[in-house]
Formats: sequence, C-alpha cells, structure tokens
Amino acid sequence: MNLMNRKNMQLLSGNHAVSWAARLCRPDVAPLYPITPQTPILEKITEFHAEGLMKTELLTPESEHSAMAACISASLTGARVFTATSSQGLLLQHELLHYATGARAAIVMCNVNRTPASPWGFWPDQLDSLSQRDTGWVQFYSESPQESLDSVIMAFAIAESVGVPTMVCHDAFYVSHSMEPVEIPDQAMVDDFLPKFDPARKLDTAVGASFGAPLDQNTWRRSRMDLAESLAAVTDETIRVGEAWGKLTGRSYGPLERYRCDDAEMVIVTMGSMCGTVRDAVDTMRENGKRVGLLKVRQFRPLPASMLRDALAGVPVVMVLDRNYSPGTGGILHQELKAVLSGMADGPKVHGLLAGIGGANVSSETIDRWVRDYQNAEPKPESQWVE
Amino acid sequence: MNKPQSPLWTNSTSEARKTGTWRSALPDYQNIPSPCLGACPVDGEIATWLRQVTQIDHYGAWLTLMENNPFPAIAGRICHHPCQTACNRVQLDETVGICSLERFVGDKAITEGWSIPKPEVERTESIAIIGGGPAGLSAAYQLRRRGYQVTIYESREQLGGLLRYGIPAYRLDNSIVDAEVGRITDLGVKVHLGVEIMNSAALAKLKEDYSAVFLATGASRPKALPGLDYSQPYVQDSADFLAITNGGKTCELGENLLVIGGGSAAMDVARTARRLGRHVTVLTLESDENLPAQRTEVDEAREENVEFICGAMLKDVNSTKDGLILTCARVDFQPGAAKGQFTTTQIEGSEFELRVDAIIPAIGQDADLARWQDVVPGDKGLIDTDQSWRTQTEGIFAAGDVASMARFVTEAVGQAKHAAVAIARYVSPDEAKDPPPLLAEAKFNVINTAYHSPDARHNQENLKVEVRLQSFDEVQIALSAEQAIAEAGRCFSCGTCIDCDNCYLYCPDMAISKLEGGGYVVNLDFCKGCGLCVAECPTGSIHMQEDLPS
Repeated sequence: MNLMNRKNMQLLSGNHAVSWAARLCRPDVAPLYPITPQTPILEKITEFHAEGLMKTELLTPESEHSAMAACISASLTGARVFTATSSQGLLLQHELLHYATGARAAIVMCNVNRTPASPWGFWPDQLDSLSQRDTGWVQFYSESPQESLDSVIMAFAIAESVGVPTMVCHDAFYVSHSMEPVEIPDQAMVDDFLPKFDPARKLDTAVGASFGAPLDQNTWRRSRMDLAESLAAVTDETIRVGEAWGKLTGRSYGPLERYRCDDAEMVIVTMGSMCGTVRDAVDTMRENGKRVGLLKVRQFRPLPASMLRDALAGVPVVMVLDRNYSPGTGGILHQELKAVLSGMADGPKVHGLLAGIGGANVSSETIDRWVRDYQNAEPKPESQWVE
Repeated sequence: MNKPQSPLWTNSTSEARKTGTWRSALPDYQNIPSPCLGACPVDGEIATWLRQVTQIDHYGAWLTLMENNPFPAIAGRICHHPCQTACNRVQLDETVGICSLERFVGDKAITEGWSIPKPEVERTESIAIIGGGPAGLSAAYQLRRRGYQVTIYESREQLGGLLRYGIPAYRLDNSIVDAEVGRITDLGVKVHLGVEIMNSAALAKLKEDYSAVFLATGASRPKALPGLDYSQPYVQDSADFLAITNGGKTCELGENLLVIGGGSAAMDVARTARRLGRHVTVLTLESDENLPAQRTEVDEAREENVEFICGAMLKDVNSTKDGLILTCARVDFQPGAAKGQFTTTQIEGSEFELRVDAIIPAIGQDADLARWQDVVPGDKGLIDTDQSWRTQTEGIFAAGDVASMARFVTEAVGQAKHAAVAIARYVSPDEAKDPPPLLAEAKFNVINTAYHSPDARHNQENLKVEVRLQSFDEVQIALSAEQAIAEAGRCFSCGTCIDCDNCYLYCPDMAISKLEGGGYVVNLDFCKGCGLCVAECPTGSIHMQEDLPS
C-alpha cells in the first residue's frame, strides 16, 4: 500500500508530527524554550503561529524553568497548555514538575529523550524522563512519528479528564528526526474528540478563589490520596481514549502492546524506538521458528502493574532492554518490572540488559544474538551491560 | 472526571490553617534599655522623650525627663553626657545630640512655666536633707513628689550649691538655676538657709526629729597644693574665686593669672578670668590628652586664648615687687587605675620660669567629714555608704560628692534619686516596690538601619569668641524648634517600640494586631515564628524567644 495515497498523509519527522498534534489540539498557551533535539517542534509551532494557523499565546521565557512556571499558571486559569523540552531542559524543570502534579495542572509536554550531561551528548537515552518518574507526571513512550502525533492528542484527552500533567516522550533522532509518512487527522475530528478544556476550578479574578495556600499536614495527605486516586484511573482512561481514537483513525493504543507474545518462550520488554527494532527482530526470529515476542510498555507512569503481570503470566523468560542507566541501580524498566512481577506463582525469569545506552546502535541481529545468549541463562539481579 | 480538588483551592479565608502549630520560636515585644539609658547617670528614658520631641509633645518629653532628673535645663547645659558616648548611632554616622535636646526641652518648660505636679498623697514621714546642691535638691524632689515632708538645711544664702556658686554664667546662668530649683521648692519643700549642721550632736538631733536624714553637703573643702602658702594675697582658691565672681563681685587679683589644675573647675576659673580681661595660663600635671575636664571645655578655653602648659608642676614661688616669679618643671604624668589616681616624675633639667601676678589653684575639693565623725564614720575622704547610699548609721543616708568620687553634677543627681528611693523604702517599707529587672541593652546589630538614613548631627552653635569675651552670656546657642525636632528624629529609639507598624504590615500570616492606645499583640494561632517582624523592626524592640510548652 502506498501510504502517501491515504488522506492527509505527509512525510514528517517525529518532532514535526508533534508540532502538528499541538496545532490540532488548539492549545491556548504554549510556553517554549529551545533545546536540541527538541527545537524543531518549537520552530514548526512558531511557523504555524506566524502563518496564522495556530491561535495560541506563545511565550518564549528565559529558561525551561520559567516556561514550566508559565505552563502551570496558565493551566490553572483553565487554559489548554502545551510545551516541549528535552534532557537538561527537563531536568531544570524538575521542581516544577512536582509542583504541576500537585497543582493538578493538565499540561501536555513532549520530551525528546536525550542523554543528560555530563559527558555532553545529544543521543537517544531515556534517563532524562525516567528520572522524573516520581514527579507524578503520566508518561507515554512513543515508537514512531505517527504514534507521537496520536499520543499528544490522546494525552490531552487523558490529562484533562484525570487532572494530571502528561508527558509524551520520544527518542532523540531515532524518532525526533526520522521521517515517515504520517497521517494528519482532520481538525474537525480532533475538535470533536477533544472538546474545549473547561476545568471545574479556574484562577479568575472574577471568582473569589485562590490557589497555593499552605495546607496543614492532614489536608496535604488528603491531596496526595486524591492524586493517587486520579493516577489509579489513568490506565483505564488510556484504554478508553486509545480505543476511541482507534475507532476514529484505525490506530488503537493501550498502556501496553503485546506483539506476537502468544506461546512465546521469551518476551522482550522495552520502550520507545527500540520497540521498532525488536518488532523487526521478532518477525525474523519467528520466521526461524523461535518463539519470541515483544511487550511494548507505552504507558510507563502510572506503571500498569496488573496489566504487566497479566501480560507476562506463563512466559518462561523475559528480557528487558533498557535504553537508560540509572547509576547505582541499573536499567529502570528492569528494576520496575522485577518489582511488579515479584511474588507471581508462575512469574518469568527476568534478564535486564543495558542496551543502546547513549544511543549506541542496536540492530535486529544484535537482538537475535542476545536472545540466544540469555534464553537459557540464569538471571542475575543486576542489569547487564551488553553490546 | 474533573473530580473536585477542594483541598488545593481556597474560596474563603485561610484561618482554618493554624500556622501557629509550626512554630518553634515566638516574637516577644519587650522594650529593652537603650545604651544611652544604661550610660545615663540618672537612668533617663532618653529614647522615650526624644520620640516625644519628634511628636512635638514637649510637655510629655519634659515629664519623662522629670521622672529621673528635676534639672533638664541645667543638665542640658553642663552634663558630661556619657549617653552620647554610648549612642549606637555613631556606627551609622554621628551620635545624637542628646544633651542639646535636653536643654531644648528644659528651656521650653521654663518658658512655658510648667510646674511639677503636686504629690498624689501626703505622707507624715519627714526627711531632713543637709545640703541644697544638686544631690540634696534631687533627693528633695524625689521624696516630696512621693508625698514625704522634706526640709532642706543649706549653709549658704541660696539653694543650688555648685550649680549656683561653682559654674560660671556663660555655661549656666543663675536664672536657669532659679527656675529649676524654684519648681522644687514650690512643691512644698521647707528650706532653712544659712544653717550649718556643725557637729555630730546637731546631726544626731536631726536624726531624732526626722524619720530619716540625707547628707548631701558635697565636697566643699579645697584640696591644698603642697608647698603653696594660701595665706598670701596672691593666692586664691578656685571655689572662692568662682563664688566671688559668680556673685558679681570683681576680681582683686592682678592682670596675669596662673590657674593650676586641668579639671572643669580650672577651666571655669580660666575662662571667667578671660572674661574679666585677665591674661590666663593653665598649668596642669596631666598631659593634654589626659586632662580631666570635658574636651569641649578645653577647646573652648583655647579658643578664648587661655594658654596651657600641660605636663608641668609648680615648684617654687618668689614674690617680687614686679609680681611673682614661678619656678616650674616638666613632669612625666602616668594615670593610675582609678579616677583621680596618678603618678608623676619630675624630668630633670626641665625647670622653667613663669611670671604672673596671682595663683588660683583648682585641684579639686574634699568632703568635710570631721564634723560628723562620731555619727557617720568615713574613710578615704568619703562617708561610707552601701549600694543603697545608706551610711553605717541607720536612718542616715548620703550621696553626691560627700559619698562618691564620681564628681559630676548629674552623677550626684542620679545617686540622690537612688538614695531617695532607698529612703522611701526605709521610712515606709510597706510602700516599697522592687525595682524592675535589669535587661540587656539594645546593641547596634538589632537596629535595622535600612529605616534610618544617614543624616549629620544638628549641632548647637557657639557664640563667636570676640563676643564671648565681652560678657558672661551663654556660649552655647540653643537649637531652634526645627533643629530640635530634626535632631530628635535621628534617634534610633534603640529597644523602644515606636508604633511604626512594620511588624503589623510585614507579618506574612497577618498574625499581629494593633492594640488600642499603642503596641501590638501576636496571635499565637497563626504566628509561625518566622522572625520577619524582628528583622523589620527598626528599633530592635521585638525579640525571638524559644517557644517552650507552657
């Protein structure tokens, strides 16, 4: 099938796909600060804005920290807010990421996963966003430009429904700068899918209500219980929104994706662009009679724990590929998955591989080799450096 | 979903949030002594009355001054003002001119004819005061205003003692003395003038007749300079010289006078003689920098062409028909540990001659103790007293120069005030009140100088030298009302709340309320102990203290 023959198909990089998604979602406010490799998102949005195609209040503050501060304030007034950043920019926002969640600001942000300094680099690595895993932001990891576009639109639906900020992450260059044919949904369809943001509470000088007063201990605790309750609802919301989007576009999404996992003797678990390579390797191995599958973790936060247990129940061996290294711990997905699977009666053996750290290339042949190496090995608690 | 997020939003007040539960320290409003108060010989509430001056409440300022000292106009002219030495403001620019402001208020009271409020109660207990100088009058005032029956026995024809007979008019005019002393006698103090309590028997009789006796005869006997023949017509002691000239009589001495001594009395003699047209040389044992007189007195004496020979002593006097030929010698002067103590060593071969017509020694005065030795023993030239100015004989008290070497007018006034309190406790123990506890002084570092702009002192002007030497007019020209208000406004009010509202305005929890009639109160439910009020207090009158469970 020639994809370009389909309606509204354009050859887009992952970053420009995100810019398109932002345009379609009609954010009221978009504070942005440039950083490699996120900058094309900003540039495309400013182009749209200059051409009168986006009626968004664009803010260009002096830092990512200020950008996020503006996001929070704008969101609390009831504005739909979009922003994008990467690596150092995200890390600079750290304290405000916590603040945004506590404030229940339904911001959507695209983070382009890039190695955090030092050493200096611009390479695909997910440590920047994974190390924000305790901030309460919902995190989706995208495999492709099309998924990034779809994910941003769905992220607004989820964030505004649940009342929590949401991050769509895609890998530097592998997704951000790689181009593929991307279907751009109709504006009318998106408008219908994503009605105007209208939260129950808004900062408004005409309304006698304020935000930000200190809470006493018990009330603070209660606000965290409320947050936990909202986050617990995210997984179902991801499913509901993903199915709804599927009905409109033919592209359904869920928190996880099981690819050729039935009867698999080994399931490879990973996130982001690595999923594409694994998908290709799985196909080759299946052709060669190896029973290997892929479990793509799309929603990393909140971690869909029960779904993960269900997805891996009865699988003998799991191999986690982490494109991140948490110093002193190992692969973050590896650690989290072990915790989730702990205590399962029929739980799998879990291997953790530090694969493609710093953007090092991982080919489908390499994955085939790792499968052979680890299929019958005894798992170690520590993540293993592999190449 | 849009679940209501009630805890995060506030649509009423935040009073439900008792931020006071966070507190580990609590601000406390407590006026603490300013350094000037600590230094003041009469414990004057200086910060308070300076504030009243800025508020153009001159009567209030005067009443505050009068609480501790019945002589603001006098002290404002002659006090050695240790308050200014202690003033915190020197660390910003210059000390506050407290003394000139005291004079301003004191003069205002005289001009306006303000009188001392009558005692609220009349008491039957009677007190005899021997000596009508600064100490005797101060005690009389403090006792009479408390309602006691006070009688002063003064050996001279008029009250005032040193104030009247020892200080020349160009520093303190007798009209000022008359006004401030008159106010005290107007309170209903009985006065016997020209009466001397000559001996122990007379003193013992007074003790029988009165509930208590206060001795305040000062130091009236001149110290004698060894080797100088006081019987010669060319020798006149300083006290006699000043009493004669202050009384308006002329000086019978010659044209060229030698004054011996470096204290205030010597300066008074020298400058008086200059006004009488004499040529004056002052000879002092002390080196220039160690002269015991106030520095302004020395400076003004020099301005008036008084010649100084410091660090030298008189060795011999040779009287000739053309005048006196004095043999003098240079000395090495070393001050001792205590005031008035020193050692001198003559420098060999340093003799020199002076030619003068007369010599006026002004080397200090001793108390006359011998006459009462049987009743109130004394040692080292002073009547023995304890800290409450009680002599060894019950019911007899003594203060001022007769009992202390702190030979300043205001020291005597302050001592007499304390003695009066002790006398009151003695004669009516039921009325006694314990003095308030002593608190630490407000240091410069508690002052928030952001609220005090640098501003040079508004100084009193002096008469021009050529005008001064033509008369006994006062040298120092009083501040104008505008100058006084501006100068009083320079006071930091160290440790004293000025109701500026900074604490009230800056409190982030709105935990401070204003009290009717002044002052503030902290709402413990909401004060979280941040200390912002303390930091923003311009006067250091709020203090953080540990918030201990009650």
